[in-house]
Amino acid sequence: MSVALLDHPVYIVTLAFLGSGALLAGLVLAAFSALLSFWAGYAENGVMIQVGRRAFYATAAMILAAGVLLETALLTHDFSLAYVVEHSDLSTPIALVAAAFYGGQEGSLLYWALILGILGSASLLASARIGLRLAAYAAGIMAAILTFFLVVLVLVASPFDVLQITPPDGLGLNPVLRDGGMLIHPPVVLAGFASFAIPFSFAAAALLAGRSDAAWIAHTRRFALVAWGLQSAGLVLGMWWAYHVLGWGGYWGWDPVENVAFMPWLATTAYLHSSQVQERRGRLRGWNFGLVMLAFLLVVFGTFIVRSGIVPSVHTFAVSAIGPWFFGFLGVCLLFSVGLLAFRAGDLKSHAEPAPAVSREGAFTLQNLLLIGVIVVVFWGTMLPLVSGMLGQQRVVGPTYYERAAGPLFVALLALMAAGPLVPWRHAGAPLWRSLRWPAGAFAFLLAALLVAGVRSLPALLGLSLALAVAATVVYEYARAVGRWRLAGGGWSRALTLVVRRRRHYGAYLAHLGLAVLVLGLAASHFWQQEKDVTLLPGEQVSVAGYTLTYAGVQNRELADHSEFVAAMSLGGQTLEPARATYAGLGGQSLTHVAISSSPIADVYVVLAGTNGDGSASFRIFVNPLVSWIWAGGAIIILGVLLGNAGERRVAVAPVAARVRSPVGAS
Amino acid sequence: MIRWGIAMAVVAACVGYLVYSASGGSSEYYLTVSELRAHSPTTGDVRVAGVVQDDIQRSDGGLHLRFTEKDGTASMLVDYTGTVPDIFRPGITVVADGRLGADGVFHARAVLAKCPSRFSTTPYTS
Repeated sequence: MSVALLDHPVYIVTLAFLGSGALLAGLVLAAFSALLSFWAGYAENGVMIQVGRRAFYATAAMILAAGVLLETALLTHDFSLAYVVEHSDLSTPIALVAAAFYGGQEGSLLYWALILGILGSASLLASARIGLRLAAYAAGIMAAILTFFLVVLVLVASPFDVLQITPPDGLGLNPVLRDGGMLIHPPVVLAGFASFAIPFSFAAAALLAGRSDAAWIAHTRRFALVAWGLQSAGLVLGMWWAYHVLGWGGYWGWDPVENVAFMPWLATTAYLHSSQVQERRGRLRGWNFGLVMLAFLLVVFGTFIVRSGIVPSVHTFAVSAIGPWFFGFLGVCLLFSVGLLAFRAGDLKSHAEPAPAVSREGAFTLQNLLLIGVIVVVFWGTMLPLVSGMLGQQRVVGPTYYERAAGPLFVALLALMAAGPLVPWRHAGAPLWRSLRWPAGAFAFLLAALLVAGVRSLPALLGLSLALAVAATVVYEYARAVGRWRLAGGGWSRALTLVVRRRRHYGAYLAHLGLAVLVLGLAASHFWQQEKDVTLLPGEQVSVAGYTLTYAGVQNRELADHSEFVAAMSLGGQTLEPARATYAGLGGQSLTHVAISSSPIADVYVVLAGTNGDGSASFRIFVNPLVSWIWAGGAIIILGVLLGNAGERRVAVAPVAARVRSPVGAS
Repeated sequence: MIRWGIAMAVVAACVGYLVYSASGGSSEYYLTVSELRAHSPTTGDVRVAGVVQDDIQRSDGGLHLRFTEKDGTASMLVDYTGTVPDIFRPGITVVADGRLGADGVFHARAVLAKCPSRFSTTPYTS
């Protein structure tokens, strides 16, 4: 488009009109697709099923068009739109202006609908083999969810509202959010949230169609893994952002906003494991449906919690009219899920014989119960302010509650992660005890080493030692694979075939390894973080946890929209420059720039608290052991998800009885 | 099915116990300044929400702060040592975590600010 066009008022009005029009057309198409798909699925009318499906693709296209229009409005600084005025200005860097698309309430809902439209279309395109009726119902449910979002976008929170007077500049972006993290964390978290609707739709469709066999699992599992991977990445990126930007030395505060992102992740973790029990042994059918539905309900619940502001949180989202809408949506989804499960309860009874307690099935079952336990703990902690507020004076819980209540459950889960993958399906025998030597040895080794080093805290001892045991189990599994590969004659092509053929298996263990690395980082930085507040004159030194820092001096810089004090601290050969910027245009708001010297052993984390007239400066200095392991662990988990999900081979849905007893460690 | 039920009951009992024991020991009252003035409770830490007033005094290079936190009618003096969130300034809502001393000053061990999850600073009204 040409610059001349941009100045033309007709064009600007047209852009808003086009955006609203695209949303309205999307709404009509979504509602049409939902109704038609349900009817056509019920009547098993192949042509109409196709029409319903195409209406869904068209909905996704309309949402995409609306998204492109909003992005165009942002990038061309079209200040006739309220959304553009409220979320960007002329001085904001262009990448952050583009990120304003999902930075505000209305835009984030549009982004959510867009992801749902795209992933939903992909899931329908890939659903050729799961049966016409099931796919039609799934399309209907996804279209119904999109209808809800589009109703909210059209009626309550439209990003295309036009201001009566076009201001010359926007209000801009809070400096706390002017960071590269803004470009990756929110879109990943929102995409994760949106993607939980896909497994939900296919699970509910399978129940509606009366197909409680494992066929839906093979299809759902893949999209559940996509959702799980996105949510894992979103959680770790959120921690990374908080750690690098906010300057409190930590990364997780058990705030309601964090909790509601964590709970669907826990439910999906449970599902990814229990679904294997159904695939292999035909058991836990009703349970699996319940878990997929729970994950989605937790997403809707979480959205309602954070957007309505009903519980006190460090984060304040714009409290707006969408709270009641999400509450209603939550109620409808809950009734629908519970009703559907009750309606099909008769079909969901397990016909397979129960397995002994010490078996892979037993381990998965216990793991599931523990994960549900963690969800209960987190849910209660999140809802306590609301519940206690109704009964009397409002009460809140802090990190201590979560550590005490969820800590023992995490320890039990780690122990299961170390032992579980070595326990065979159905019956445990002598080989089990032999293979358990590895994790047990790793556990005992680190436990002894830590005891000798003088560690006496039981949670620290158990957390770190069990994390190493988990890693040992994974290494043992990989060592066995290498052994088999050698036995088969070696060679790169054979190694590749081996990994590719069992990528689900090796992907899962890679994710386990990533989690073990992440837990080591979490535990070490949690239990051994050191912190010191200090005021130094130029030339003075301070020592924290064996790291000596020398304060060189402070400089004042005047920049276009802010002024900043930059302190220089030398640590060994390098210079750290923690800074504090003040934005005069934003009511004198200040912004900390943390300086971090990162190494695999520990991060030295320096915050400039303030400067004094005599040239001295005050600092808060943290030494955080093994924090970089958290980010490394997160990256390994994502690699595992990519490996485990890359072009999965068709899962044979053979009758259970036809399967022979599998060897130790097979999955 | 029975074993499944037993496992569920055992885990449920453990989780119930953990939640009960942990929330009993570590939950805090969440109050506004006027509620704190009205109840004047108790032992243990409380969290008090209010708006920061225009009288922030910093000393010790910004690591030690005194300011007044106010809501509607009631106000209290807060004393705090440590770093405050970036958005801390007069006019924003903060939550001080700590206890009211015998001197009538609220001694905070943490000051939390509402994090701006919105892009914009204030909604635009024309």
